[in-house]
Amino acid sequence: MNRLPISLLAILMLVVLPGCDYRILERIGFTYAASYDAAPQNQVEITVSIPRAEPTIKVKRELHSAIGQSSKDARIKFANETDLLLVNGQIRVLLYSEALARKDLSNEINSILRDTSISPLVKITLVNGNAKELLSKNYKQHLSTDKYINRLLEKSSSNHRIPRTTLYEFERDYYDDGIDPIAPILKEAGEDIAVDGIALFQDYKYIAKISNRDALLFSILRGKFKKGDMSLVLSRGEDGSSSEYIMFTSVLSNRKVHVERRAGGTIHVTINANFKGSVHEYIGNKKLSVDAQRHEVESKVSEIMTESANRLVKQLQLHKVDSLGIGIHVRNSMSYEAWKKLNWREEYQKVEIECKLHFKAKDYGKIR
Amino acid sequence: MNTETKEKLSPFHTTILVHMIQTGVMALILPQLLAETFGTNGWITVLGFGLIATINILLIGAVYKLGKGRSIFQILEQSIPKFMLVPVYLALAIVWSMLGCMAGKEYILIFQMYAFPTTDPMEFKFIMDLLVFWLLTKGLYNITKASTVFFGLFVWMFLLLFFFYTDFSWSRLTPFLFKGGHFTYLESMDIYSSLLGYEVVLLMFAYTNKKTKFVKSVLIGNGMTTLTYSYLSIVTFGVFSLEQLKNKAFPVLEMLAYIRFPFMERMENLLYGFVLFTVLFSILMYEWCALEVLKQIFPKLKANFLAFIVMLTCFLIAYIPKTLNEVGDWLSTLSMIESGIAFGLPILLLVVLMFQKMGRSPAHE
Repeated sequence: MNRLPISLLAILMLVVLPGCDYRILERIGFTYAASYDAAPQNQVEITVSIPRAEPTIKVKRELHSAIGQSSKDARIKFANETDLLLVNGQIRVLLYSEALARKDLSNEINSILRDTSISPLVKITLVNGNAKELLSKNYKQHLSTDKYINRLLEKSSSNHRIPRTTLYEFERDYYDDGIDPIAPILKEAGEDIAVDGIALFQDYKYIAKISNRDALLFSILRGKFKKGDMSLVLSRGEDGSSSEYIMFTSVLSNRKVHVERRAGGTIHVTINANFKGSVHEYIGNKKLSVDAQRHEVESKVSEIMTESANRLVKQLQLHKVDSLGIGIHVRNSMSYEAWKKLNWREEYQKVEIECKLHFKAKDYGKIR
Repeated sequence: MNTETKEKLSPFHTTILVHMIQTGVMALILPQLLAETFGTNGWITVLGFGLIATINILLIGAVYKLGKGRSIFQILEQSIPKFMLVPVYLALAIVWSMLGCMAGKEYILIFQMYAFPTTDPMEFKFIMDLLVFWLLTKGLYNITKASTVFFGLFVWMFLLLFFFYTDFSWSRLTPFLFKGGHFTYLESMDIYSSLLGYEVVLLMFAYTNKKTKFVKSVLIGNGMTTLTYSYLSIVTFGVFSLEQLKNKAFPVLEMLAYIRFPFMERMENLLYGFVLFTVLFSILMYEWCALEVLKQIFPKLKANFLAFIVMLTCFLIAYIPKTLNEVGDWLSTLSMIESGIAFGLPILLLVVLMFQKMGRSPAHE
């Protein structure tokens, strides 16, 4: 039969077609991280970090930066400086300076959203200070800076020091009418990079910040999670030194939001969060193996956490940022028409929000 | 003569084939269309559309039962003179071949957004058409067998939806029913067109016998498509927020991009390649239909030659629309006509059958 010509044709195609789009890996610059800074006249300064894997040169990465009207504009400029074909497919981290984010990130975000080559898993991060400097600097005791930042963010979000903020989540929360986006903030700390806190956005505009200290608390209030650790001073002694101190880890947390309409039309929201953890460190005079005494410690933790949670929520309300997604629950508790009539941004400040946190020590280590 | 007229379709093969024809490029856009047209919880409407398709299939089933398994050509030609049917056949052939052709081009253009953007899309189209041509010349029975194999290559992708369980949130679905959408008939037709493909079975009557359990198998195939589409849509609605979904050109592709294995990231190009398996059968079966009709017009010409002519014409016409939007417009128009055919043709056939019955009954007396 006519098997032979067909197989010959197939082989010919296999041989010829790979030549259609000819690319050599070593000549492609896979941008790994990019930073955005505000520049005069409403321009942006973009810096990209591209890892290089040429055995003949010592350089580990290439850095380029340019100022332009938009990110793509700047891109075209620094594409002239490199012999590599720049591609966006492997971008892992996008760093924005706080100054730029305070203006508005919508242009930058929309431009990366349109680009089909950029992954929805790229991490959105703010930088306290100059983003270019943070990315350009080499940190002696760490990996190449771009990879260092990426791994730092991955690790920190896995134990909930910072929320996981990929482009997908950032965009999703932007478009959802009952929640506002958030992003972690990094800063340069001498020879290291450190997590500085959580940035709270109103749409694509950076409004306020949660300090590092409240990060886990924020995660507890934001939703269900596993893993994380926390230390807490339960009471201070007479001379100011901490006389009772607790540190727990492997936190498992679960949140429930209850919305209620009180007389007079005020919306009352109760956030019930239960979290469990293993006590790894306890300094104090109570015996954790004794049920009553352990419960005392637990309720003390709950009390302190509830108090800080209420303070944190007040702070969020003050800045009109619904980063906890309370709007979603309020929306789901009412009719569509009523929700559309409600100006949530304004109403949010008036909502009574009450947090109730309950801590349970799952275990208390090897000491009784 | 080829042997396929003796071999009859098995129920399993028929079900899989119908499912494979129905699923296609439209699945990638479906959730966006649902969000745009129906707003919150638009995924529910997929079940409604599935029901409409079911009614349509029952209509076809009625033709099958009343016609006692005769092919639609036999039914038509018994009552209507051939010269009147030829233009109808020709029109059907054009719609079906174009539909297959445009579905293929759409797939390629979407593919090129992600990979090989500078290659001429027609190079891909050529390879695709070659594959379609080869399958086309093998006859229906072999096509169904191939579709079962390709189904196996494609169906595992369904498991990928598990990846989204962590990001899925019921509260994002909202308790509202169909709010915040903008309903237009045109867009709902587009949504319906994602289920089209089952009407192809109209031409398969001659390839079936009692053992095929024809109507039942087609219904199951359609049920599978409806359920998979609803499941896909509900996951999409829970993973993306509504306004975000409205803004996405290809939400399902975006979801594929989100999948990440510890050893690999950004594999949507690879995964998208697997979608080809099902798209291929949508194209193939429409071309097959066109071929079947053409065989009736030109009974003297060799089937393989006709197949070649069909594929060549398609390939040449695919040069005309250049952009994704143009292809989308062509596809919309063609699917609208196709929806008309899907309902119109069985109704016409039923009318013809009714007349035949009326004409025949006095003769018995």
